[in-house]
Order: sequence, then structure tokens, then C-alpha cells
Amino acid sequence: MSSPLENPTDFSARERRALETLVKRLGDDEFVLAERYTEWQVRAPSLESDLALANNAQDELGHARLWYDVLADLDVDERDLVYERDPADFRHSTLVELPFAEGDWADAVLRSYLYDAAEDLRLEALEDSAYPPIADRVGKIRSEEEYHLEHARNWLERLAEGEEGRDRLQDALDRLFPHALTLFESATPPVETAIPTREASGSNEIERNTDETSGDRSDADAAAAVEGDIVDFGLRTATLEELGEEWLSIVVPFLESLDLDVPIDESTIGEGVEYAVTVESLPTQLGRDGTHTDAWFDLYDDLTHTYRELERSDAAKIREDPDR
Amino acid sequence: MIWEVFRQEQAGEYHTHCGNVHAPDREMAKQFAAVQHGRRKPTNSLWVVPRDEVGEITGDDVAFGGTTDKSYRWATTYRTTGADASEVVESESEQADAEQGRGDD
Repeated sequence: MSSPLENPTDFSARERRALETLVKRLGDDEFVLAERYTEWQVRAPSLESDLALANNAQDELGHARLWYDVLADLDVDERDLVYERDPADFRHSTLVELPFAEGDWADAVLRSYLYDAAEDLRLEALEDSAYPPIADRVGKIRSEEEYHLEHARNWLERLAEGEEGRDRLQDALDRLFPHALTLFESATPPVETAIPTREASGSNEIERNTDETSGDRSDADAAAAVEGDIVDFGLRTATLEELGEEWLSIVVPFLESLDLDVPIDESTIGEGVEYAVTVESLPTQLGRDGTHTDAWFDLYDDLTHTYRELERSDAAKIREDPDR
Repeated sequence: MIWEVFRQEQAGEYHTHCGNVHAPDREMAKQFAAVQHGRRKPTNSLWVVPRDEVGEITGDDVAFGGTTDKSYRWATTYRTTGADASEVVESESEQADAEQGRGDD
């Protein structure tokens, strides 16, 4: 297939919107999870586990930066993406924004397992992305993610050996699992992509998108449409549904092998698939559609506090452009 | 449980002791060591060894190298001023470089 997605300046409005939506969901997940992980610094159960999680947090921040940088070619810079963005315009899953249950290492470990297992699958589906800057980033990110997944699995196995550890894991699983399912929800296209570009043929859709964003229904439609585009344009080579089913077929048996009860309804087992993500099993806030728990808005306030306090107008950059 | 960690910078070189990690078992020890001792300096391989498994013998237990004073072998006390001492200076600096290269200081 000759790649139609070589030069971002030639993108149609739809292509641009698909790319921006995809990259935001990727980058926002990594960015917000890293923010949460850093809360464990100097509080983890041992020096070693502290350093290991700090290492993972730093990796995730680096990955967020790699993803956000993809949008630099669309003239969206890091300042706009992190410090100047409406927190309701973030597209991360609610799994990554929830505060950790006080001092609960089981929460940190389980969350990282649920997330890293999903990330592994979605990176695989980006390896052959039609947009080269995406495909180019996968190798570096995956090599670091292997450590994260291994780290999480090792901890889970050990915590699950004792009764107290297993009880804590079960509590965390009951709390986190519905939120983990939002990882596979389609994301509502970000608001700023609705700004018309010079592309004339896409203008109908842009208007439809801006005019109707007030209603939930049209948001959901727009999300489904842009998700369809992400796959049709070859930005990602698997659908969210496929990723969700595959993820369930990996994490459910693993967690069950640790004697944990996965809160998934037997009725979600469909034809030909073992499990599927259904509406009933999802939490009220999905994250991907811009609805978030209060915890996210508090966290956003925290992480932009210094920037606002010091009246900054720029985000500091200490690394060069990864594409150069 | 404490695991002593040995780092090898490049294939073929010796593994050199570089610190330790606390970990409940070998798998976790390897994982922690990778972050704690393999992240900052160039690393080709790490060994983790349970501290209890390390055998130690000290100068209190045995007279290393016998009882003869061999300090004369360490020719580091010659006068190094004056033009005729340049060879001594070179030789000493070569020795210092070699020691540094082995990680002796």
C-alpha cells in the first residue's frame, strides 16, 4: 500500500482529526499515569521498589513526550497539550487518573499490570501504522514496556501468594477493573480539531462536529466515526474491539490463575470470543469522551500549579526533537 | 534478603562488584538490579548473587602472599624531579592508568 499519510501539510481535515485523536489518547494515558506513579516516590515499600516504579514513571513521561511530539508536525506544541489544555479535553482512560488507595501497593501493581498488558497490545497494533512517525516510535517504547509488564507480573505473583496480599489485590481489582475497560473505548475527537482548515471537502463534517458537540449522542457518533477513520486510514491496524477482546483473553486467565475473581459478567462472553467489553461493565466516566472523575481535575490543578503561579508562557524542553 | 550485584560493561570483561539490592528472590533481584545498577553506566550484563553465597577470606584469616614484605615491588617512591626522572614519571602514570582501567581506585 502506498502510504497516503506522508506529509502532514497535505492531510485532509478527517486525517488530521484521526491522527490527533489517536495521538492524544496515547500520550494522555502515558502522561497521566506517570504523574500518578510519581506519587509513590519515597513512599514505596522498599528503596528498590521505589526506584523501579520511578524508573517506569520516567519511561512513561518520555513516551508521552514522544507521542505529543507527533503533533508538533500539526503545529500543536507541548505547551498547548499539557499546560494550556482544558482538562476536560484530555482523552486518557479513567484507569490512569484515579488516585491510589492510600498506601496500597497492590493498587499500584495491579493498575500497572492492567495498563501495561493493554499497552503491549496497542503498540503491536501501531507497529505497521501508515503514518511513519508513529511506527518509528513503537520500537523504543516497546523495549521499555517489556520491563514494566515483567515488573508488574512479578509483583502480582508474589503479592498473591499471601492471604493479605491477595485480599488487597482483590479489592483493587474490583475497584479498577471497570476503569481498565475504558482503555478500549473510542475517544471523542478533541475540540480544537473542529477548527476548519483549508481543506474544502472535509468542511461538511467539521461543521457537523462543531454544531452538535453539545449532545451526548453526537459525541458518541463522532467518537465512533473518528475511531473508524483511525483504522481505515491505517493509523492503527487493529480495532479497539479486537484489542479489548485480546486483552481480556490475556488478563482474565492470568488474574484467575492468581486466585483472583475478575469482575466480568459471564454474559459478556460472545460468539467466537471469550470475553468482550460491554456498556454495562463500564464506569460512569469514561475518560476517553472527556468525562473524568473529580480526581483528574484536582491532579491537573496540581500539575499545572507552578506553571500558572510563575506565569510561564512556555514549556521547558531539554531534549532535542526525536525525529531529527 | 540481600543480593550482591556485579556489572560487566562489555562482553568479555570481568563482572565487577557494584553494589547490592534487597529482593525476596532471584527474579526480583535481577529486575531491581537492572534499574538500580544497569541504568546509568554502560552495561552488558549483571550478575546477582545471594550475599550468603559469597565466600570471604580476609587478612585476619590468612597472611596473603606470605610474610615477606613485598612493598619494594611497588616502585612508587623514587624522586621524580629532575630531567633524568622523566621515564619514572611516565612509568608511574602508565601504572596509574592501568589501575584506573581495572577499576582499582
